[in-house]
Amino acid sequence: MAVHELQPDSILRTEQILTPEESQLSIVWRRFRKHRLALLGAIILSTFILLAALAPVLAPSVPTGLHVTKVGLLPDPDAIDPPNQHLKPGEQGHILGTDEVGRDVFSRLLHAARVSLYVSIVATLGSEMIGALIGAISGYYGGSVDQVLMRIVDFMLTLPLLPILLVLSVVIAVSAPTSFQRINYLILILILFGWLSTARLVRGVVLSLRQQEFAEASRALGSSDLRIILRHMLPNALAPVIVASTLAVGDFVVTEAALSFLGFGVQPPTPSWGNMLTSVQEYMFLNPTLAIWPGLCIFLTVLSINFMGDGLRDALDPRMRGH
Amino acid sequence: MTNYLIRRMFTMAIVLILSSLAIFVILNTAPGGPLSDLKFQRRDKGQQINPQDYQRLEQMLGLDKPTHLRYVAWLAGDDWIEILPPAWRMGKYGPLPNGKRLGILRGDWGESWAVAKGNPVLRVLLNRVPNTVTLMTASTLLSLIVAIPVGVLSAVKQYSTLDYVATTFSFIGISMPIFWLGIMMVILFSLKFHDWGLPSLPSGGAISVRGAGAGTLGDRLLHLIMPTIALSLLFMAGWSRFMRTSMLDVLHQDYVRTARAKGLVERIVIAKHAFRNALIPLITIVALQLSALFGGAILTETVFAYPGMGRLAYDALGRSDWPVLQGYLIILSVIIVASNLIADIAYVVVDPRIRYD
Repeated sequence: MAVHELQPDSILRTEQILTPEESQLSIVWRRFRKHRLALLGAIILSTFILLAALAPVLAPSVPTGLHVTKVGLLPDPDAIDPPNQHLKPGEQGHILGTDEVGRDVFSRLLHAARVSLYVSIVATLGSEMIGALIGAISGYYGGSVDQVLMRIVDFMLTLPLLPILLVLSVVIAVSAPTSFQRINYLILILILFGWLSTARLVRGVVLSLRQQEFAEASRALGSSDLRIILRHMLPNALAPVIVASTLAVGDFVVTEAALSFLGFGVQPPTPSWGNMLTSVQEYMFLNPTLAIWPGLCIFLTVLSINFMGDGLRDALDPRMRGH
Repeated sequence: MTNYLIRRMFTMAIVLILSSLAIFVILNTAPGGPLSDLKFQRRDKGQQINPQDYQRLEQMLGLDKPTHLRYVAWLAGDDWIEILPPAWRMGKYGPLPNGKRLGILRGDWGESWAVAKGNPVLRVLLNRVPNTVTLMTASTLLSLIVAIPVGVLSAVKQYSTLDYVATTFSFIGISMPIFWLGIMMVILFSLKFHDWGLPSLPSGGAISVRGAGAGTLGDRLLHLIMPTIALSLLFMAGWSRFMRTSMLDVLHQDYVRTARAKGLVERIVIAKHAFRNALIPLITIVALQLSALFGGAILTETVFAYPGMGRLAYDALGRSDWPVLQGYLIILSVIIVASNLIADIAYVVVDPRIRYD
């Protein structure tokens, strides 16, 4: 009986019955769902993105608008106690109160989410594309091209990142006329040093693939180098690149916040989570609650992204699980 | 090994020259500088600066030189520049005469423009080095002391409660922005503890300004506690994950199985055979993360007003003090390059399987 059942043709039939067709995407999703923290991260991050996207609608007031009813007009420069402008959370319709010059903290947080997420997502897209391209060229052509590119990567990786970014930000972005342009310059600076690890990652994958039969076959069929790179090499590097780019978004959120916190990133009055913490330092003796929210937003965003990255790694590359 | 060392020294020199070039180019294409500030002030008062004065100032600061000569003068000084034919040393106001600079290679790092006006950069920076080194050493040690046992235990007891707790904490650690953690620590341990009448920690600085114990070792240590913890958390988290991975790798090696097979107690297998080998890759990671540690030090020193190099660089940035920044970045490059070399050598010393030739 047992022998009879193991006929090749019956195995084939059972398999067809037992495994319904499942797309790659749904396999990945099924594995991702199992990672509960990653799922939680995805939910929190989506909420943040949604809040950021709807900020102009949801925010009760303009992020740069002052609440003027309590102290009259603009803050009095001679006032001994400027934080008088602070309204406590919940006071006069300000859910989280107002900051040291009387701006609604909740509205500023929402708009800051826009800035912080815009910077980190665009910087990630830019870095990953440039990194993938340079990595693919380096791995595919090998030889002296590879040598030169990888020496450049090695060299740039030894540079102290934050000090260099700070200096570049002062040198380049300071000349930008509008705050939006300044933000875009900031993104360019982040990309300038953001592509390095992706380039290494993709190079490694391409290096191991370019001598394999399917690449040979494609070459023999007359495909151009560009086509082989785009159609055969990069798709194979997609899984690690997706994981790396998820984690990169978190890195950029922190880096942008650090630069803005130090006063060389996004400039006030445009709010960013980082620069909202700058002024807090002066007033933390009088109103410490102001320090909680922007930092908590940064922390939660980055934590969610890191959990998601971990979940994606498990889902896309099960061999890496547990590392 | 000797051959390898000579080759490494050679690449080190190239890397240092390239970094110095990059640092110089970035800072010298910067808008601003000492004279634009001056012009700005003069225009405010409705006065135009006297052109002769302006020329004299430019010549004094060496700003009349073309950029490539400024780089050479910055590196090697300009007291020999008349050796060159006049056409090669053409400045803004004619051929340049011998100057007084010796160049950073000969110990002349220029003078600070703003943060310590008129003082030699090298001295200003070196004054800050001990504080930064203390902070970074303390943080590295604390990170290692926590990360190594946590990583090893997580690996040995993989998927246990301890492993999950450690994993969760490491996720929190790598997601925590250093500067926010610092601010929250100041609020809690300096402000709230003080309000509640509990013993509180100093909120900033490296020593107390006044009081009985100002400047003593105990006072310094007290000021070091919060900055060290704030700076360590990120590295603790990262390194414990790394240690766990490294330990897991080693535990699956053949020689560990051999050690078990010959009947050794599990404790000895882990302590003598696995642990020591799992430590080796950590050397590279610690060396590679030194530049991240410097970045973290800028943030920590700023939050805690700790008078180290990072705080100095932050002040110099805000006031366009390029000579100080150039000096700071040069010191960083030298330390980072040197530490990479030391890590490579240490690798050979502790791991006989690796040989350079």
